[in-house]
Amino acid sequence: MNSSKGIDRQRRALQASALAGAAFALMATSAAGAPLVKECAKDGKFVIGFAQANNAEPYRQHVNDELTAAAKAVPQFTLQIADGAGNVNTQTSQVDNFITQKVDLLLISPFEASPLTPVVARAVKAGIPVIELDRRTVGDPGKDYTAFIGGDNYKIALEAGKFTSDTLLPGGGDVAVLEGLPSSTPAVERLNGFKDGVKANAKINIVAEQAADWLPDKAQTAFSAMLQAHPDIKVVYASNDMMAAGARLAAKGAGKDVKIIGTDGLPGPAGGIRAVAEGEWAATFTYPTGGKEAIDMAKSILLDCAASVPTTVTVPTLAITAQNAKSLMGN
Amino acid sequence: MPDVGARPTTIPHGASKSAPRIDLLAFAVRFQSLIGLVLVAIGGVIFSPVRHGHILFLAPDNIANIIRAISETGIIAVGMTFVIITAGIDLSVGALLSLSSVLTATMMVSVGWGLAPTLLAVLVVGAAFGAVQGWISTRFRLEPFIVTLAGLQVARGLALVVSNNQYINISYGDGPGLAPPIFAILGDRLFDNTVPVATLVFIAFAVVATIVLNTTRFGRYIFAVGGNERAARLSGVPVTAMKISVYAITGLASAAAGIVHAGQFNFGSANDGTGYELTAIAAVVIGGTSLFGGSGSMVGTVAGSVMLGALANILQLNNINAALQLLATGAIIVLAAVLQSLVRRREGVTR
Repeated sequence: MNSSKGIDRQRRALQASALAGAAFALMATSAAGAPLVKECAKDGKFVIGFAQANNAEPYRQHVNDELTAAAKAVPQFTLQIADGAGNVNTQTSQVDNFITQKVDLLLISPFEASPLTPVVARAVKAGIPVIELDRRTVGDPGKDYTAFIGGDNYKIALEAGKFTSDTLLPGGGDVAVLEGLPSSTPAVERLNGFKDGVKANAKINIVAEQAADWLPDKAQTAFSAMLQAHPDIKVVYASNDMMAAGARLAAKGAGKDVKIIGTDGLPGPAGGIRAVAEGEWAATFTYPTGGKEAIDMAKSILLDCAASVPTTVTVPTLAITAQNAKSLMGN
Repeated sequence: MPDVGARPTTIPHGASKSAPRIDLLAFAVRFQSLIGLVLVAIGGVIFSPVRHGHILFLAPDNIANIIRAISETGIIAVGMTFVIITAGIDLSVGALLSLSSVLTATMMVSVGWGLAPTLLAVLVVGAAFGAVQGWISTRFRLEPFIVTLAGLQVARGLALVVSNNQYINISYGDGPGLAPPIFAILGDRLFDNTVPVATLVFIAFAVVATIVLNTTRFGRYIFAVGGNERAARLSGVPVTAMKISVYAITGLASAAAGIVHAGQFNFGSANDGTGYELTAIAAVVIGGTSLFGGSGSMVGTVAGSVMLGALANILQLNNINAALQLLATGAIIVLAAVLQSLVRRREGVTR
């Protein structure tokens, strides 16, 4: 490098402290290592591909909405969403297509972990940074893919369990659980989390647990039968909002006053926030989408030329209860 | 129901309908899926995003993406073609794929069987499952629609039982709880990362099926059963055995697809393969095989499968949303069926 130019630059830097700060930041990043993406630039145009597991689930539509809104705020980004339609084969081929297109960054919510692992490895090998949302593939963030952003299903359900044992049923009683699709990872994690959460209170009995596959109609049928068999059920924990809505219909049909807990905390007229605000359910625990966090991370990788990003970002859950539901409805 | 259509089919030479004259429409229908495939490919080239002067749609890795994505449903569609030519239907295939993937994973990982015994056992179970459906359907004179609908439920239920409601990961290596590493080849791509092994299985399956359907007595019998069952029976075709065997073939195909699924995705899951029966039936219908039985083409089925895959691919490359893909597929199925119906009417066959 030309030395006189260097001196020149120093002089200018002294004149403008803001510029000096920027130069320092630049030096700091280059000292930490090469940027994750070579073609990064403040004024570049970038395509972000998002391989969504299944658009048909209201929660995932909510993720798409939040991601789309966050990406729209960044004029340099174009977001493409592919719907894996709940099928590992479809989702694999869509990620393959994103690789063919050479998207600048891949976001993925893998429908299942190990089946999507090979294609994520292909993307990484092709030099595409991969941020996993909500569910992760096999391997370690920072090594086998760039980063993971999401909630923790187990912890969210654990919170719901503690809420049940401490707040709803401190005196104990019968509790029922509506599980998601059997053999799907989040269903297992939420089931285990809730069970561990109520363990502290020995007077709580989980008298019934049934899989309702995340669906409101199956939940209604299952919970009706549970209420027949166990008329003293005081609390039902549903592993998602839709099943909670089904449980509510069943309780209403049986004329029982059962406290209902949902999971996901979706917005909108069919979502859990409204149901809690209007007193239909006792609570719901949000499953954060991480959409905003993902776009922020994409910004630091693609626009700010970050050399490293946090490899795991756990977005905390928010308990939605009678106290805060009404004010959240406004948002 | 008696066949009122006067169809001058000579049994057992019903494989190729005797065409009294060159019929342009019939010609178009016979090759409709090939024509459709060519049209989709041309559209793909025209609308393909271009990078550095290369047409993305035609890039070798993109072609590999397309043919890998359709390998499982393609294998099933090939089996389904046999059933549909006999005027039957098999709705259990997707569930049977899932059961087979679960069985493959369980046997290798939990039970500790070797590769060959596992694959053989899964294929036998699949074929037997299909044969039982065929037997029930013929023995009790039940619509195959109902029998295989029940079969769908049974296969899903069995998959949940075998997997114990968990999805079963396959890890590779030597020793207990690990699958033979060679099995992972199903997820690989050979020859400089261009030829997916899953596709090779599909191609092998399709080649054997084409030969069986077009050159053997077995194939001619299948067309005969679908064309006119009574006539076939009268002329000594073992109709019941043929019907049972076509369901055994779809069962075998589903098991093979399930093995490919387990190998590609390193797991067995009781939830997978949902809706595969409909994709496979769509590919068969687009391929020019009549749901009324008696006519059909294996090459057409393969072309139909590839066409559906190419269509999904080009729509995604252009970032066109999933809803439109479904609409496009629906429109193509209707078009294929309408073309077939026009030909049938022209031939004076009314059913």
